[in-house]
Amino acid sequence: MAAELTSTKLNAENHLLLDQPLLRLPHELARRNFKSVQRIVEREKEHILPALKETANASLSHSQTPDQALAALDAMISRMQGLKRKMENLQQEEKKIHDQSRKRIQHLECLHQIPSLADVKYDQWSRARLDRLIVDHMLRSGYTESAQQLAQEKDIEELVDLSVFVQCQRIAESLRRGETKDALQWCSENKAALRKSQYNLEFELRLQQYIEMIRTGDMGKFVEAMAHAKKYLTPYIGTQSTEIHRAAGLLAFPKDTKAEPYKSLYAPDRWSHLSDLFIRTHHELLSLPSRPLLHIALSAGLSALKTPSCHSAYTSPSSNSLSTSTSVCPICSTELNELARHMPYAHHTKSSVESDPIVLPNGRIYGQQRLLDMSKKVGCVEAGKVKDPTTCEVFEESEMKRVYIM
Amino acid sequence: MELVQKEHERLSKRLKASQGIKNVQSTIDLLQSARDAIASDPSQASITLAKLQNPVKSSFDAINDNLKETHSGLNKYSKSLDKLFKDRPLPSTEHDALSSQEHLINRAIAMHLLREGQFSVASTFLSEMTEKKILDQQQGASSDAAENAANFLDIDEVPSNEVRKQFTTMYYILREMKQSNNLLPAIEWSRDNNQALGARGSNLEFELCRLQFVWLFHGGAQGPEGPVSAGRQAALEYARREFHVFLPRYLREIQQLMGAMAFCPNLQDSPYRTIFNNPSAWEDVAHSFTREFCSLLGLSADSPLYVAATAGAIALPTLLKLQSIMKAKRTEWTSENELPVEIPLPPSYLFHSIFVCPVSKEQTTDDNPPMMMPCGHVIAEESLKRLCKGSRFKCPYCPSESHPREARKVFL
Repeated sequence: MAAELTSTKLNAENHLLLDQPLLRLPHELARRNFKSVQRIVEREKEHILPALKETANASLSHSQTPDQALAALDAMISRMQGLKRKMENLQQEEKKIHDQSRKRIQHLECLHQIPSLADVKYDQWSRARLDRLIVDHMLRSGYTESAQQLAQEKDIEELVDLSVFVQCQRIAESLRRGETKDALQWCSENKAALRKSQYNLEFELRLQQYIEMIRTGDMGKFVEAMAHAKKYLTPYIGTQSTEIHRAAGLLAFPKDTKAEPYKSLYAPDRWSHLSDLFIRTHHELLSLPSRPLLHIALSAGLSALKTPSCHSAYTSPSSNSLSTSTSVCPICSTELNELARHMPYAHHTKSSVESDPIVLPNGRIYGQQRLLDMSKKVGCVEAGKVKDPTTCEVFEESEMKRVYIM
Repeated sequence: MELVQKEHERLSKRLKASQGIKNVQSTIDLLQSARDAIASDPSQASITLAKLQNPVKSSFDAINDNLKETHSGLNKYSKSLDKLFKDRPLPSTEHDALSSQEHLINRAIAMHLLREGQFSVASTFLSEMTEKKILDQQQGASSDAAENAANFLDIDEVPSNEVRKQFTTMYYILREMKQSNNLLPAIEWSRDNNQALGARGSNLEFELCRLQFVWLFHGGAQGPEGPVSAGRQAALEYARREFHVFLPRYLREIQQLMGAMAFCPNLQDSPYRTIFNNPSAWEDVAHSFTREFCSLLGLSADSPLYVAATAGAIALPTLLKLQSIMKAKRTEWTSENELPVEIPLPPSYLFHSIFVCPVSKEQTTDDNPPMMMPCGHVIAEESLKRLCKGSRFKCPYCPSESHPREARKVFL
């Protein structure tokens, strides 16, 4: 067997490919948290300092009674207390995020202590990773309950992002139902970050609101729709001019029009499109990959494991020459067989067969020693005969013929 | 990785030492004391207010300075993350063959959960899947009947109750075996599946019975504290009752077991100690039981999902490198059905024999099977056709000549 085929060295740095989001996501959350702190502090500062100055000036010029000054101070104090409360909450949040990050860094650090892929510890680590990947997949597909349960049973709640995905699913679901409120609120929370996004989520949401107003066919609503368009759509005129023109044109078409592109603007599946758009934007913002990590790992893994024999008509999965004594090949196993059907198979430059191959009269090739051992074990074969484990035919030992595989 | 760790530690430390809230509190205190001063002596209002300006402003500045520090800490941490994951983007999403087969992935996950013994999670997962399917059906209620039928088929594809029952049985047997040293359910199962196990050449039933014998010998349920003779007696009786069926195949092994009886008082020094004092015996038997059980269900012993995902993680660096090289050289991947590079997997990830034709260097497939010439050398069918051109030809590896008709198809 080729030397490179048997390598079991573990290169941890390379191995972390799949685990980027594990650290990136809490970091993005921490940044977002920080931005909120910055924003509320800034807002209070903008308010308190001028207000204080004004009160002082008013007091100097005696245009204000002391009672008024007191009232103004009281208002300021209560604002500051509000600020403090908010900051405390955000600090709690930040602390939670940091704890989570620390656990994740520790988890990844574990991998660096493992020297070889054959190590038992690697096996454990890899199992934990699979659990993470499954939870990730479940969360993305909306199987929240199962994801929670699995994370709990496997004790990996710190390593998966339940709340993030739950929130994301909730908003996506609300969009699918035809509600824009939650999504718009999310947009306003992430205004700064959205400016860098390659998608125009907010514009699309506003456009949808506009479409819904027109859909009613009510003249009063039309006026409202135009006001809405002026307020929310026109700021995007630089980049979205065609869409805005189309939106204007929509006024002339009834909701059951057959004319494109207005028909598709009225189409109800725009909502599911919006929902997808939201998920894409959400993942982009939190530097999450757009498809489940499990898919990435699986598609690479299936190909790496697949051989031409896996979907061959001539070999039965449970008993081909190598697998009788070991176990069934995972690609041949019923779970993955269909999934792997259209995958490319792994590339090999060297044959790998047992060292003492012989061929039986029916053309099956086995390792001689193992075939003899197995025939002995099966028992029902007389001495001097061998049994083909695949086809169950029985042959004389003398019928085995040496075969040369290069 | 170390850098990331260091930066993160620094970040957490900074958070703990954070003065932000303290500064806000001091601002509140300032305002409060000013208010009290004015309340007690309204004539001083303007002076107190004027005096208040600068301290409030400076405490806001302090808050902002603090935020700036946190900001720079976050940026440093970002940089360390970038460095850790530098040149390691996630694989591109161009070839996503799996998204269209979501139901198959879900099925694989459900099976994985079942075989890992996570029955409650699995049942939650299954019911959530069914719920979603019903929801989808309601939404697409107007779609034609053919589509609905397809949807129902999908539900059938999800591991049926039958599989779940099988795995429940398996975990019951394993639990009995591991927790209460009770081999009887396992032995019963292996008797029921005697024929199938025999066809696989499995020793499972005998191994189980032998362990049962050893267990009885050591005193059975009473443990080693019980009277030695009672244990021996029970083991002997067990052997008389059960071992006769194994005689033709396992004569030697049974003789060994019986021979050990003679050494009973000092087994430690006897040649039989490996059989009787094997600490991993229970683990081994449980392992081979799991393997046989899964094999009879047509499943591999290790969860395929686990093996595939692990193999994927091992393969990804190589595939990514390939991707970047292909992009740089603007080449296309020409072999449609085969990966263009060899992926170094540990030997335990090799499950099939692999035959690469020594002439064409291609792997043989159903369409291009391996052919054996009379001299015993094997090449792929296409290579054979190319070599012989219909007439007698010399084997590329030895002096013997043969006719292509004499070459035989072989199965690896």
